[in-house]
Amino acid sequence: MKKSWDAYETGSCYDELMVSGRQPRQASYRLVEYLRNLSAETFEQYVQDSEKVIHELGITFTVYSDAGNIDRAWLYDIVPRIIPEDEWKRTEKGLKQRINALNRFIQDIYNDSEIIRDGIIPEDVVMNSKGYREACKGMTPPHGVWANICGSDLVRDHKGTMYVLEDNLRVPSGVAYMLENRTLTKRVLPDVFRSQLIHPVSDYPAHLYNMLASLAPEKDNPTIAILTPGIYNSAYFEHAYLAQQAGLILLEGADLVVREDDHVYMKTSRGLQKVDVIYRRIDDDFIDPKVFRKDSILGIPGIMRSWRKGNIAIANAPGCGVADDKVIYAYVPEMIRYYLNEKPLLPNVPTWLCRKPDELEHVLEHLPELVVKPANESGGYGMLIGPHAKEEDIEAFRKLIIKDPNNYIAQPTLSLSVTPTATEKGIAPRHVDLRPFILSGAENYVTPGGLTRVALVEGSLVVNSSQGGGSKDTWIVGDDAARQRQASQQLEEEE
Amino acid sequence: MLLSRVAERVYWMARYLERTENTARLINVHTSLLLDMPEEMEINWFTLVKIFNADSLYPGQLSKMNEGDVMQFLISAGKNPSALTNSLANIRENVRTSLDVLPEETREQVNQLHLLMKESAYTVKNRQQRQLLLRKIIMHCQCIRGVLDSHMSRDSAYYFTQIGKHIERADMTSRILEMASLLLADNRSESVRKYEGILWMTLLQSLSAQQMYLKHMRPPIRGEKVLEFLIRDQLFPRALHYSLNDIGYYLEQLPNPELPLTMQQRITQHLQDADIMESRFHPLMDYLQEQLGLLHEEVAGCWFYPDFSSQQIQQQAQTLSTQSQS
Repeated sequence: MKKSWDAYETGSCYDELMVSGRQPRQASYRLVEYLRNLSAETFEQYVQDSEKVIHELGITFTVYSDAGNIDRAWLYDIVPRIIPEDEWKRTEKGLKQRINALNRFIQDIYNDSEIIRDGIIPEDVVMNSKGYREACKGMTPPHGVWANICGSDLVRDHKGTMYVLEDNLRVPSGVAYMLENRTLTKRVLPDVFRSQLIHPVSDYPAHLYNMLASLAPEKDNPTIAILTPGIYNSAYFEHAYLAQQAGLILLEGADLVVREDDHVYMKTSRGLQKVDVIYRRIDDDFIDPKVFRKDSILGIPGIMRSWRKGNIAIANAPGCGVADDKVIYAYVPEMIRYYLNEKPLLPNVPTWLCRKPDELEHVLEHLPELVVKPANESGGYGMLIGPHAKEEDIEAFRKLIIKDPNNYIAQPTLSLSVTPTATEKGIAPRHVDLRPFILSGAENYVTPGGLTRVALVEGSLVVNSSQGGGSKDTWIVGDDAARQRQASQQLEEEE
Repeated sequence: MLLSRVAERVYWMARYLERTENTARLINVHTSLLLDMPEEMEINWFTLVKIFNADSLYPGQLSKMNEGDVMQFLISAGKNPSALTNSLANIRENVRTSLDVLPEETREQVNQLHLLMKESAYTVKNRQQRQLLLRKIIMHCQCIRGVLDSHMSRDSAYYFTQIGKHIERADMTSRILEMASLLLADNRSESVRKYEGILWMTLLQSLSAQQMYLKHMRPPIRGEKVLEFLIRDQLFPRALHYSLNDIGYYLEQLPNPELPLTMQQRITQHLQDADIMESRFHPLMDYLQEQLGLLHEEVAGCWFYPDFSSQQIQQQAQTLSTQSQS
């Protein structure tokens, strides 16, 4: 592999592992040294091993296409991405601060709406959010927490500053892949784990279980289940995996029934049994055909009634998607100041709201440089990436924005950070983002690191797995590594 | 606490696992037998299709009943529901949808099996490669059973795998025994008479029963002793009596097993009392296969598709929930 690393160049973007083409950052020193010293054949063998393990473990996700649904093998890049421990501690604090403000916001919106009355956020922004659910008014879920599981997307700009790009509050996915990526790295590169302090991630399922248990109406021995839309959902593998790892019952809507006592029961081989907590992996739109979409065959008629009575806990709470909206996103720093009276620790990506006339003007003038997003889409769909777009696409978007300015926001095109990645031409820089997962119940928990998604195509900024992105194991590495490196350098010098 | 839907899936997972292993074994033993036999006998490649009751699905004319085509039909033909590839696909599907109750390593084993089949299915017409493939499949099945046996708590999920396994096994054993009626027929050909010893031995081998037969029944291998052993032996786990007994044992562990249990006892008794020689033998096996089908329906009605809206079940649920609160 020597040759491949020799040709490595960092370019103008921030590089996660390298200071320059040859010089690793302090925290990644050991990893880069190890990989550089592998022969090309050995490295290639490891890559093949990892692919074989992925097939054997059946790590897949489903892609919907015209030709039918295809189970695709997970794309995993063998070179881990590293974040130093001290930086991560700050990020973790910022993530907790953010989710706490968001949860306070959702609670406020469905109850007293003080933030609207105080003029911090306009009422129509909240009411127009696709995730707003009238049926949730007046509710207070356990601990006043609505978004129990959040997956925030973090990106860096060319200076290395970490920004929050979005807060995924509805049914964020990817955590199983984070866990499996670590399993893969441990199988394929076990030697690099020696004598390095890499924060373990494998206890996430235990934290998930404890958080869910903290929501149970009756605290003793609650029955906790994960609700999946079924095998044709793109994240079915993750649902089954989490059920297995956390000891949850894997349910489909048809397994459940709400009885006259307004409790939720599951159909078991021993008759009906009461369920206390449901970790739902279906959109709240589909959860109760009696309240939301009547055509839903995935949901459980009557479950909202049971939830409102406090007979069952649902995570994430129905209606929490109100805060998962790209217009509301722009107000999160305000929320942090308003509810917590704190300075935001993690910055938002600078955002122009097209609903404000002066900002709209700026956006329309600078369309070719900007990223424009509709308020309520995820997975990277329906957006315009100005610098990569064709003239006619830009003009089409201009019309869309003018027609419905309230529905759009715009952001500068960030030159996302890159990190060394195994490509057919050897090791090369590829763009990455990071999705840590934040659990909130009686208390907060943040995964050490998270899921690093990587755009495998040269120059591409699209990291979504549904659009050909891959992933990497993510290491939070302690100071320990730097200390040991100094120690071993000293030894060498003394010799 | 096992969902009815999941109960059904682990049950079928175990049935297909058993079917896969038995099919692979039967094909290999049959191949080995035919290599020893003259061509003009009643027993030929098509006998295998008959054992699976798949005559009507077989696409070719008589001229196409050669080794290669029969093997492709039994192993990789999508149109044949009991083809090995279909059984394997069913194992995988059922495992994928019940990962929360099956041991973690099941998933890996099943995926390896799936990959093996995907890479090698095209080789089935080649006798040497086919036998190698089938031996590997048998080994994977044994691994999966080993994982279930050593890592699964003895709870409802496990009981359903055992019931599924033994219903499938008894069904398969009875189908293989049907072949024996060819050996018992008064009008059997000279060549069958000539090779009788080898044929009975093959029958034992296709159920991996030869060694235990020799140990417990003692040589020589004779027809009536083979039938006695494979039908009524109490210790050999592939004998019909043993399978039925085990089904009874696992049924008793489940809630409200009265209906299926009564049926299981009736079948066991019938088998115990039946005359197993000659003319009555074929009808006995037909009876058994029919009864096993009914027993399956009884199990499904009892635990997979019970009427949850009925008053009785609701009362049951109430008692259960009050029990769990106390």
